[in-house]
Amino acid sequence: MGAVDIGGGRQHGKKGKHKKMRRIGVRLDMTPLVDVAFLLLTFFMLTTTFSLPQVMDITLPPSETKSEVTESSLMLLRLMENGTIYWNMGTESPRALEPNTLRAFLKERINTNPNMITLVKVDRKSKYSNMVKIIDELHLANITRYSLAPLLDPDKKIVEDAAGKS
Amino acid sequence: MARFKKKRVGISLDMTPLVDVAFLLLTFFMLTTKFKPVEEAQIVLPESHAKYKIPESDVMTITFSPDGKLYLGLDSQQLRAQLFGDQNKLKPAIPISMEELVPLAQQARSANPKLRTVIRGDKDSMYGPAEDVMNALQKANIARFELVTEMDRKD
Repeated sequence: MGAVDIGGGRQHGKKGKHKKMRRIGVRLDMTPLVDVAFLLLTFFMLTTTFSLPQVMDITLPPSETKSEVTESSLMLLRLMENGTIYWNMGTESPRALEPNTLRAFLKERINTNPNMITLVKVDRKSKYSNMVKIIDELHLANITRYSLAPLLDPDKKIVEDAAGKS
Repeated sequence: MARFKKKRVGISLDMTPLVDVAFLLLTFFMLTTKFKPVEEAQIVLPESHAKYKIPESDVMTITFSPDGKLYLGLDSQQLRAQLFGDQNKLKPAIPISMEELVPLAQQARSANPKLRTVIRGDKDSMYGPAEDVMNALQKANIARFELVTEMDRKD
């Protein structure tokens, strides 16, 4: 282990002072060196973080500005506490939306009315990931004009009434 | 039926190229590695299809953990010393309260106008704290911010 063996064992007698020294082949056992090198290599390879997390850009309209929106081009998405999504246009009564049809639904909406403005109302008790998912789907459908609003008690009542009717 | 014992042949492999490559990779990884900053709270990020990577500098990170704690992180040590005092400048993020967020965010913005705001929230936490953070940011006149997410690979 780790021995340095001098190759050959050649004899080099002193025959003359000016004679060239015979080269001695040194053979190093590099195994421990390689072991350590690979150990460090694996360590650094595993600890390196190449992938940075993604960021989702959100620009909300400033709170002071009031923008006039025609009711017919306003879409309301209400995200309830249990994760269900209700949608309505303008003053219609809200309807439940299947979460897996959300993408196709949003695409179809924005195609029928490109001036559509979306207001997402999110319940404080709903999951953060659900809200992120909705915003993500809005981005995927190229809906850039949206805003976030809190879901208030009247909203809950409207949705409950609508859910009770159907 | 006597089996012939095979003569052992001593193989001497020249390991030099292997070692060369190993050390090359080793130095590469040693120089490029950037250790993960110490997490102040365990955060499981939500998933999205966002295309942009988190910026490397001039970032203000607002973290809210599932247990309702709020942390403010800044990537520049100078700014941290300025905002939280010298004794806190080595910590990546400082626990703060919701009321402190607005003045701190405003201070940070005025100290470095290029600062970008990112929000890190746990996917299982409630939306409530996120809403409070966004309201606070609007009060601090930060209309543009980013949500940190993980790459969604499912669809």
